[in-house]
Amino acid sequence: MILRAPEPGVNGRLDRLSDLLSPIVVKEVRQMVRGREFNYSFSLSIIAGLIVAFVAITYATTGTGDSGARIFAALMACLSLVGLVVAPLGAFNALRNERMERTLDLVTVTTLSPLRIVIGKLTAQAVKLATLFAALAPFVGMSFLLGGIDFPTILYSLASLFLWSLWACAAALFLSCISKSRAVSALIFGAMILFLFFLLGASGMGVYMIRSFAPGPRGFGPGLGTPFTRGAGSLLWSFASMVLVCGVTMVNLILLAENRLLLPTEDRSTALRIGFFAQFLLIIGMAVYPALTLPSYPVYQFASALGGLGGLHLAAVALFSVTEELDLSRRIRQQNRTAGWRRYLAIFRPGGAWGAIYVLAQMALFLVVGAIFLDTNTANYTWLVAICAYICFFTGLPAWAGRMMAKRHFKPFHLRAGVLLLVPVMALLPDFLVYLATGDYGGLYSSRHVLDPFRTISAWRDLTTAPFHFLSFGLGVIGVATYLMVIRMGQRAWMPQEPTNDTAH
Amino acid sequence: MSSETMLEVDSLVRSFGGLVAVDKVSFKVGKGQVLGFIGPNGAGKTTTMRILATLDLPDAGDARIGGVSIVDYPEKARRLTGFMPDYAGVYVSTTVAEYLDFFARSYGIQGAARKKSVEGIIEFMGIGDLRDRQVESLSKGLQQRVALGRAIVHDPQLLILDEPAANLDPRARIEFRTLIRELAADGKTVLLSSHILTELSEICDQVAVIEKGRLLATGTVQDILRGLRRHRILSLRLVSRNENIERFLFEQPGVLKVHDAGDSGRYQFEFEGDDPAQTALLQRLISAGFPVLEFSAHDAGLEDLFMKITEGRVQ
Repeated sequence: MILRAPEPGVNGRLDRLSDLLSPIVVKEVRQMVRGREFNYSFSLSIIAGLIVAFVAITYATTGTGDSGARIFAALMACLSLVGLVVAPLGAFNALRNERMERTLDLVTVTTLSPLRIVIGKLTAQAVKLATLFAALAPFVGMSFLLGGIDFPTILYSLASLFLWSLWACAAALFLSCISKSRAVSALIFGAMILFLFFLLGASGMGVYMIRSFAPGPRGFGPGLGTPFTRGAGSLLWSFASMVLVCGVTMVNLILLAENRLLLPTEDRSTALRIGFFAQFLLIIGMAVYPALTLPSYPVYQFASALGGLGGLHLAAVALFSVTEELDLSRRIRQQNRTAGWRRYLAIFRPGGAWGAIYVLAQMALFLVVGAIFLDTNTANYTWLVAICAYICFFTGLPAWAGRMMAKRHFKPFHLRAGVLLLVPVMALLPDFLVYLATGDYGGLYSSRHVLDPFRTISAWRDLTTAPFHFLSFGLGVIGVATYLMVIRMGQRAWMPQEPTNDTAH
Repeated sequence: MSSETMLEVDSLVRSFGGLVAVDKVSFKVGKGQVLGFIGPNGAGKTTTMRILATLDLPDAGDARIGGVSIVDYPEKARRLTGFMPDYAGVYVSTTVAEYLDFFARSYGIQGAARKKSVEGIIEFMGIGDLRDRQVESLSKGLQQRVALGRAIVHDPQLLILDEPAANLDPRARIEFRTLIRELAADGKTVLLSSHILTELSEICDQVAVIEKGRLLATGTVQDILRGLRRHRILSLRLVSRNENIERFLFEQPGVLKVHDAGDSGRYQFEFEGDDPAQTALLQRLISAGFPVLEFSAHDAGLEDLFMKITEGRVQ
């Protein structure tokens, strides 16, 4: 057998060094540099940089000494287009094509795990972004030299954009995993393009470049601030808090994408649940931080932050956790064996209705934190209780009823569809029936609207809803009862089964 | 399990909704053997192969590859298995060498070992001239070759090939067949499915016939045929047509049915008996003065077997 001798010199060393990288990164970068998308993006970035540089020179000769700020704004707009639109679409396509061409199956039967595949795809996009950012670096340097903007601002702004671009790529990777269908995938792709352009337009970046050449004051900073930044003036603190929020949510997007790519032989729900629990703690932290640091911070703002973000988080988590499969395959059970320190992670495990326990535990934490900062007799606190009550009712009831009616036929997908269907039906049906019966749609809040979670929760602090509060809590009690029954069913399914003749064999 | 058994499939069951795609399928394949998996469309071949490749999980049952359970240790099983599905699975903007290099890296092969492995595959598959060609620009036959190279880049013990010869021209098929025989000679166990039964009969040491998720028979073609019918088809050719031959044959023990093939003196008849009984019959024919030119057993092929077994036995 004739073998090629190992490549000498730099190429050989680089090749050996590439062993340290994920195979996915190596492949993606190889494909990327030959692809049209990257070459067009790179060329257009350079052209945009040159145009901006040309305008900068004219400003430099006649300008007021702050033209660097405008030049930087224009460059940021170009980079935003690349980072928030081009790169995420590239990430979406990279994984979608892998699924459509069914090469993903070939990769997943190697030793690469879905997590490594997703991280590899994301890292490849990071390499692409870094290259494009580097291409515009000389022009960014020029904006600093022209004055009007300081170096830390430039650095933080670029780092922020880079991070949020990566976040957008992680979101795109997750979206590309949602469906295997070409049609649905194309629909998501189209919706993503529209959304990204809308985002870009809404954030003003699209017109920022044009406006940047007009005279006037410009403000910079990492932007996309978080409640952690409230009251804390430090740029570094602001940046660190943004990195935390971006990092935690990005990790969860990666874990979500991983879960979508998993083979039936694997289950990584535990990691995902830990990730979402960290996100929940972050939400609590974001709500609590200003309440702790600002003496005059209004309690209703604390309740709104905790209830709004925390409620959305709990609703999403409950939708997927309570409706999970109660019984798991032998393989997954084996993966989740309770040994050593892992036994402490039981609450994050899939199967056996641990999902319902996980949701209830988060709700308990949610209410305890609320009770610490709010008077439990006030509408602010009962609002938090009502949020939990509705989540319990609308997720627990379909999950329990579906399993009771036809355990074998109702898969998690059906139960989730049931939950999503139940909410609008319960919200609209009473009004619709009243309209059919009386021909009149009053529109005023009344007892029948207790079944409408959106309307009741949004109008909770109004006195008109007060007489019906007990009904909402009643729904909550039903919800908790169904959770407990689901837990009972789950624990039964989880118990070791007596061997039948077939299984014994 | 015997030490020579590389693949042992034990009562695999897989359902999709109400449809039982694989129903208690069990078989064994020895080391270095080639097993042909045959059955009509929708019989459960691909589902079984995907389970064995750890891409799917059985509802019940298990399979062991080199003693490793695919249900309990899929990661270990993957290292022992090379899977080639019924599509090439190529990447755009990737050369043949890069394609193989990527899969070698994905199996954790590093440094010099990776280079050696990729070069070895290129050499073995005879695709040295194509190393810098884009995989997507190759013909289907060559893409299949590269795909087979990808499946063996980590030196697996078991190869699972789903319709590997589909869409190939006759020349590519012959070349592919040769490659598979070489791999088997190298000690690799091969499980392959195909609709081209003549193709399989030339490569396979044994076959497994599956229909509607149920395994109908396993073994060599001749063994299965012998199991299916106790009688054999014998051909007889006389110098000329003889009117007494039919009556004579009917009088012989073991002869069940005689077919006159026309004026040429050819006859076919069904005979129930073993080899000595067949020899005795020939002796009696000659003793009786019949001018025998030819006397042979009809050699049934895989197509006969397939048609015989799958003709609606399972509803």
